[in-house]
Amino acid sequence: MSLKTVSARHIRLIASYWIRYVVRSGAGLVFLLIALVFSLTVAHIIIMPVEQIMAQQTKSDQESNREKIVTTIVELSRPVIRWTLGIKSDEDDALFGAMKQGISSPPEVPMLEHVMAQAQPPTHPWTTFLLDERPALLSIIFLILIFSMPFLIAFLAFNQIAGDVQNLGLRYVLLRTERANIFIGRFLGTALFSTLVIAVIIATITFYLGVKIKIYPAGLLAVWALHGFLALAISTLPYIALCSWISTLVDSPFLSLVIAKMVIGGVLLLAFLGSLAWRPVIYLNFALPWGIQNHLLHPQLTHSLGTTLACLAYMLVFLFLGYYRFETRDL
Amino acid sequence: MHAICINRISKSFGRIRALDSVTFDVPSRSIFGLLGPNGAGKTTLFSIIASFLKPQTGTVEVLGIDTGHISQLQGRLSIFPQDAQFQRNVPILDQLVFFRLLDGRTHHEAQNEVLHTLDLVGLQSVAKRRVGTLSHGMLKRLGIAQAFLGHPEVILLDEPTAGLDPANARQIRDLIRKLQERATIMVSSHNLAEVQELCNHVAILDHGKLVLAGPVDAITRTGREYNLFLSRPLQENELENLSSLGGVRDLKAITVMGNTQSKESASYLVTLDLSGDHTNQDDVLAALLRSILDMGITPRKITEGRSLESRFLEVTGG
Repeated sequence: MSLKTVSARHIRLIASYWIRYVVRSGAGLVFLLIALVFSLTVAHIIIMPVEQIMAQQTKSDQESNREKIVTTIVELSRPVIRWTLGIKSDEDDALFGAMKQGISSPPEVPMLEHVMAQAQPPTHPWTTFLLDERPALLSIIFLILIFSMPFLIAFLAFNQIAGDVQNLGLRYVLLRTERANIFIGRFLGTALFSTLVIAVIIATITFYLGVKIKIYPAGLLAVWALHGFLALAISTLPYIALCSWISTLVDSPFLSLVIAKMVIGGVLLLAFLGSLAWRPVIYLNFALPWGIQNHLLHPQLTHSLGTTLACLAYMLVFLFLGYYRFETRDL
Repeated sequence: MHAICINRISKSFGRIRALDSVTFDVPSRSIFGLLGPNGAGKTTLFSIIASFLKPQTGTVEVLGIDTGHISQLQGRLSIFPQDAQFQRNVPILDQLVFFRLLDGRTHHEAQNEVLHTLDLVGLQSVAKRRVGTLSHGMLKRLGIAQAFLGHPEVILLDEPTAGLDPANARQIRDLIRKLQERATIMVSSHNLAEVQELCNHVAILDHGKLVLAGPVDAITRTGREYNLFLSRPLQENELENLSSLGGVRDLKAITVMGNTQSKESASYLVTLDLSGDHTNQDDVLAALLRSILDMGITPRKITEGRSLESRFLEVTGG
């Protein structure tokens, strides 16, 4: 093992050159393109109905209807968000009971929303936080992106090692630095590139919401955008590390991509389908961060910090497995 | 002092035994040829020396350092690996500068060194081109250039001239000779004439086993060959007289395309046996040439023959 001789300088060099290689080889551009098109399409689908409603309003009643629009969006998306977050109805019942006893006070809502709230089941604090206390449109987009980014990230991260093992290109660098530096440098380069792409996506969507839609205060929008960006960036790290590991196991980049996709999607699918037959199978989601990643958007800071640590722990486990394989295998 | 010590190296790929307890040493400041038929294990051995592959048994020491700790050899050992590819869409200069930056150079130093090395292999004019646009020969020279970067003390070259045109092959051979002044160079090649011309030590592998190793002079001692071109063909009795000289093992007319020589041709292959303790190559050659002159024949040309090739075929059963 050569972890003792890891060089920060080599890692920085390898990471920066790896980003260039990734962009020039096309994988980086493909990821950039797919991530941008997908994210902006999602944003468009979420924002478009709001724009249509707003376009139908006269200037005079725009202001009064703004709250109505927001409330409509919130109430329409609440069941979907509850399902996405895995909030069970009995949790809501318990919460409702607690609220009745005055343990928890309901959030201050406008009159129309209050009327709607009376007609519908009570809300969970998490959904309230995401949809009522934070810009709901952005929250919905974040949840969709946190769910989809693991699938997209495989397009960027699948070929960290496999391709250069296949064409023996690694042999030009193996005598010039440690295997550990190559492995960590390429992982960090990939993570940095994906973080930049995520930043561009979030900045674009937030800018559009702030300038064009104007239904949320700019400060709140900016702070929530930053939170969402960090959540997205952190949630992708374990999946990049997983792809690093898979990339050390096979010599074919294509096979590496297929396996990465199958593992990422397969765990989710198996957990969902399996849980229909036997409820405990749902815990298979915890083989990957599927089971926890939404908690990065949890209202309690300690909870989201704990989730961040858990995501980093997943990342470290996958990185260690990948590094061990890379260090001990023939190249 | 040995630059490389290979001790009982074995390596298998599944059921195939690629190397079987191979042991030999490479002397410092030598040009060492690693020979063997296809599949003999040459590239596997190179890859083990460079620590790309892990051996099942045995150890390799380069400059006194176990290659299990290959990081301690950074900058001192370099390799031109067979069939390894560069990043296709990245300019040559960028890739080689990256290698030198890893070796601890500043960007400016790295760029100057790279341009100088590319000049040595005739690639400076294409330094800014992407690797994907280079021809096979250029790629080969690029691979050799990266092995020559910096000041490595041991350089491994896996078939460096295969696929190069004669002029470029000659250029690479000249470079190797020049580098011998400051480095130990280990070369694998199928071109035995080239190895004989270039190397002073060789090892021959066959089916993963070492069948012969040592100085070229010693290996070819029992069958040193020379091509002899005379002013006229030899008579039967002249041929017998010359063949019976001390140190001459065999003297026969060179056949071309399966036919014996024409009457006008006077080319002969002389095989010397220098295995006797006091038999000196120059003495035997001098005696031979003197006898030829005494017969009234003028030796027009004498060139070194394919002694190594004959020995190679002998030990590998080719």
